[in-house]
Amino acid sequence: MRGMFRAVLYAQWKWSRLIVVLGTVAGFAIPLVSLQGAARPDRGALQAQELLRAVQSWGSVYPLLAAALGLLIAIAAWAADHRGRHIHALTLPLPRWQYVALRFGAGLALLTAPIAAVLIGALLGTVMATLPPGLQAYPIALTLRFALAVFVAYAVFFAVSAGTARTAGIILGAIAVLLLVQVMASVANLEWNLLGALQVVLLQGPGPLAVFTGRWMLIDV
Amino acid sequence: MTYAIETEHLRYRVGKAFEISALDLRVPTGSIYGFLGPNGSGKTTTIRLILGLLQPVSGRITVLGRPMPAQYARILRHIGYVPEQPHLDATMTVRELLDFQAAFYAQWDRPRAEELVQRFELDPGRLFGRLSKGQKAKVMILLALAQRGELLVLDEPTDGLDPVVRRDILSALLTYVSERGATILISSHLVHELERVCDWIAVMDNGRLITESPMDKIKHGTKRLVVTGAPAEIGNPPFQLLTRESANGAGEYWVVGNWEPDMTTYVESLGASIRDVIDLDLEEGFVELLRGFRAKERAVRV
Repeated sequence: MRGMFRAVLYAQWKWSRLIVVLGTVAGFAIPLVSLQGAARPDRGALQAQELLRAVQSWGSVYPLLAAALGLLIAIAAWAADHRGRHIHALTLPLPRWQYVALRFGAGLALLTAPIAAVLIGALLGTVMATLPPGLQAYPIALTLRFALAVFVAYAVFFAVSAGTARTAGIILGAIAVLLLVQVMASVANLEWNLLGALQVVLLQGPGPLAVFTGRWMLIDV
Repeated sequence: MTYAIETEHLRYRVGKAFEISALDLRVPTGSIYGFLGPNGSGKTTTIRLILGLLQPVSGRITVLGRPMPAQYARILRHIGYVPEQPHLDATMTVRELLDFQAAFYAQWDRPRAEELVQRFELDPGRLFGRLSKGQKAKVMILLALAQRGELLVLDEPTDGLDPVVRRDILSALLTYVSERGATILISSHLVHELERVCDWIAVMDNGRLITESPMDKIKHGTKRLVVTGAPAEIGNPPFQLLTRESANGAGEYWVVGNWEPDMTTYVESLGASIRDVIDLDLEEGFVELLRGFRAKERAVRV
């Protein structure tokens, strides 16, 4: 099984190395860039408010990076199989769930690089920064949150992209039905807010996508 | 006789237009079994059912003594498969494909793989997507052979290839069979090619098996008879009467299968006489089989 995993990992690395390298560079750079002002020796410590604003504005980039990495690595994981109509995968001598687990695991293994880069960048940035009194650095908490967001995004997109065109059609159809019902409810003056309710279910805690919302702060009180 | 592949009353439906029905196939162990049929006859679908890629509606499939698709993972360890279209990742080099495949087969034959790379004159560093059609076919055959399977399932492996590549591939297959005693199921449109290598032949049309018999029997048992004085109804003859048509006033042409010389007495007992017995090659026999089957199908529908 180890040999099979190595083979799948190598193939997936070949397909998604550019995404992994760019994601790793971005993951390393974002924490450093977000604390750039705090590290300037000529200006001393920034005012707490100013620093928090800078860190907060950069904070929105982490969930975007996590979602983009999850999406692209998931698509890359299945792209070759889709092109070959899954014939090669289906004729390999192992249970299909194991093949899916190998693909999923290989993608996760590749995603550890940008996650590690966020951790290193965050640790390095906070070590070099001069923090005003009352503020603290949370490099490990930020990295864990980033890792969870990457995992959620990857898992969702992996499941969707593993499916056939029919699966994608069903998902898009469900979204279209939801939008249609919302439009018809508006026309009929019904006070239904299906999209709002969906947003609450998905994005507010303990919704499955809640990890993407809220404040992503490397430095906070 | 043991069978590497056995299907019983196999049924599979693709939408409303096409159905494989009542398919009873028996591929003897150690044979080279040719699978003939026109486009859309159901050969590829049958092969996919045999490999567990599709789920039958009903019926039973046994491959290498195990039920398919229930034990697909176990069975696939012993099968080398070459699909109709190259399905491998175009961005991998030949070497990377070999390494990938080797990881999944415990019995992978590395020296054989290297030998075939040399023999097929393949560049291991070249991307699969950049190979010619013939080279791609060679890579697919190479992978199937290096897996050291007991059963090779080849879906039109030489279709559209030049004669030199076809000869290379067939020669590699024959060497493999003679060395390992493996079974080969090979589907093809190239009747003459199958005639050269196969010892069993099955013909399929419109999702049904028309015939399945040893090559000798089909080659030597399919004849065109010139018959005079035959009655309109001839009951149940000991041979297979495939087609029967007028010979422009000179009696009738009968195309028969499973013909034996002593069956002349049966024809004579009907009050008819045989003026000539003409040998048919496999291609002519194949065409006549199809004609006969389709005529019967039309008669049943009417």
